[in-house]
Amino acid sequence: MLALGLLISPLLTGVLAGLLSKHKAADLLQVIGAFSTLCFAVMIALEVFSGHRIYAFDDLIYIDALGSFNIMLITIVGFAAAIYSIGYMRYEVQEKVITRKQLGRYYFFLHFFILTMLAVSAVDNLGLLWVGIELTTLVSAMLVAFYGTQHSLEAAWKYLIMGVVGIAFALLGIVFLYLSGLNVIGQHTTSAMQWTELLKVATELNPRWVEIGFIFILIGFGTKAGLAPMHFWLPDAHSQAPAPVSAVLSGVLLNTALYGIFRVYAIANVTLQGHAGDYLIAFGLFSISVTVPFIMVQHDLKRMLAFSSVEHMGIITLAVGIGGPLGLYGAFLHMFNHSMTKSLLFFSAGNIAQKYHSKYIDRIAGAVKSMPFTGSVFLLAAFAAIGAPPFSIFLSEFTIMLAGAEAGILWVSCVFSTLIVLIFAGMTYYVVRMGFGEMPVRIGRKKTDYWMRVAMCIPLSLILLCGLYVPEFLEHAVWAAANVLQGGVK
Amino acid sequence: MDSFVTAILLLSTLLLFRTKKTMDAVIIIAVQSAGLAVIALLMWQKTGMVHLFIAAVLTIVVKTLIIPYILFYTVKKTKANRNVERTMGQFGSIFIALILVVTGQYVASHLSLPGAEHGMRYLATAIILVFLGTLTIINNKQVLMQGIGVIVIENGLFLLTQAISYGMPLAVELGVFFDLFVAVVIIASLSFRIHSAFHSLNTEKMRDLRG
Repeated sequence: MLALGLLISPLLTGVLAGLLSKHKAADLLQVIGAFSTLCFAVMIALEVFSGHRIYAFDDLIYIDALGSFNIMLITIVGFAAAIYSIGYMRYEVQEKVITRKQLGRYYFFLHFFILTMLAVSAVDNLGLLWVGIELTTLVSAMLVAFYGTQHSLEAAWKYLIMGVVGIAFALLGIVFLYLSGLNVIGQHTTSAMQWTELLKVATELNPRWVEIGFIFILIGFGTKAGLAPMHFWLPDAHSQAPAPVSAVLSGVLLNTALYGIFRVYAIANVTLQGHAGDYLIAFGLFSISVTVPFIMVQHDLKRMLAFSSVEHMGIITLAVGIGGPLGLYGAFLHMFNHSMTKSLLFFSAGNIAQKYHSKYIDRIAGAVKSMPFTGSVFLLAAFAAIGAPPFSIFLSEFTIMLAGAEAGILWVSCVFSTLIVLIFAGMTYYVVRMGFGEMPVRIGRKKTDYWMRVAMCIPLSLILLCGLYVPEFLEHAVWAAANVLQGGVK
Repeated sequence: MDSFVTAILLLSTLLLFRTKKTMDAVIIIAVQSAGLAVIALLMWQKTGMVHLFIAAVLTIVVKTLIIPYILFYTVKKTKANRNVERTMGQFGSIFIALILVVTGQYVASHLSLPGAEHGMRYLATAIILVFLGTLTIINNKQVLMQGIGVIVIENGLFLLTQAISYGMPLAVELGVFFDLFVAVVIIASLSFRIHSAFHSLNTEKMRDLRG
């Protein structure tokens, strides 16, 4: 029942808000819809984290701690994005960038996008998981193309083709995985594609096919997760989408793709006796290092944030690859921290870009002076994202470093810390320039829209709180999610 | 009959690298999908598995009727019929396509897949379709032709699952069909918008975002 509510609520919200977009009430309606989705997610989380699991529809739906963790992130960021959209889009309508009718289309696709991500985290079937991830690409491509400008269409097209082709390879990988279990599980039962079943018999699967399948899936879903070297669609798409969409793309869509990889990884690591982690470490480190030059020499604010997302996805992948209780704990804590921080950062950056009418770093200065609230939030969020203490990302990055040392691969921790120090330096330089400095004369002071403030307060309060100490509910949720993968770790 | 269908699949796909009209490519897609439906029907006849029959019917409805119709409509509206442009010349394209055909055959003969009895003969064709679809995307500069490359890859994967295990479980198969349908609708919709923003469907003009 809960699972059904979770999936129907965003669908209804999207359709209704899309149909009623002529009226101002639609704005409020979609926030209420997003809130009810959040409520369903909380109810599911309460049930799952108290030790139960949710099955529904003939085992098509299965939600455990890992799924529920991802669902919580999606609904929190989705809710914040829905609130933020009101303020952001009202401004766009006022400036005649878009019409109310287009706004309806936006609401529809935004909530449908959230629905597809929720579906990915709730199904128990690798094939349907693939179907869901493909749908996220298709729906979000429409959101990236929302403004219909030449640049946004270019970004959307690149994203669509890269996404669809990349994911096609993941399907190939899933077919191989399916094959590896056919002798054990038997043909044509849906259970041969259920990862719960595959996990049970993981030791008996054919290791050769599992390894090939895992590599294909890592590359395929890795394309969606923005792992280097398949990441080049990501800065384009994130910089061209409307700010609330960028926040959702970066904050949770990337996690959802990683979720697909981790589900398969849990199986593959058992079959391959712990060797699957090496692939994750390699891809993770490579993704972090690729972003360094792009962050250090960047002209576009939103592109810089997008490259920072590639970096953080690399960190999470690396942490899961390192494994061990500490590594997995760090990975999921980092996933939570990154979702909150990056969505906050995109919200504030979107607000700044709207105010300065530009995304170019050179044209933005004195943001703290011109927009006291948004400017300060932007500074805080940026320092949180690069891992300055006392924010929560520092905590999780530190945990991951420790995990590397504990697992006996000290060189990985050393390379990792060197790279994030470089990124720290690069981003601080630009962020400080944008935050302080002389405010251009043409820009007056401006109060931040009420809705946008509320939206920013949600992730802001969470990252401030979690920087000081990790609250019990989060601690519990992170451990539970890590435990799901624990079964598959040496 | 089996070899005949395989030959039609290969020949029609190779024609993708020769054609100058997008409309021809749409017809090729329809023919190719019809070939897939025939293969599924043949397997159904031999094994009596009902879901193969369902897959065949779906292929006919979705892939040979609806999708080509959507593409046909898009080509007509964007007047994109005669502007297939490739990075490589015609000779080069066909040459590389032929090399990929040989490579596909070689790979298929060296994969010791635990395949299905009546399906293994299609394995090489399936791999070749995936290769050629990828080449179509890389090689073409026109938006719709890249979309057609995506469909060829999907067709290849469909045939591959048929060849290895008589297709995937039905729920998944339905989902994949739905995805392909949505993908084509979105490809068509983006093509319209690209056409009205750039006054052309050529990706050469879409090279502003980098770094």
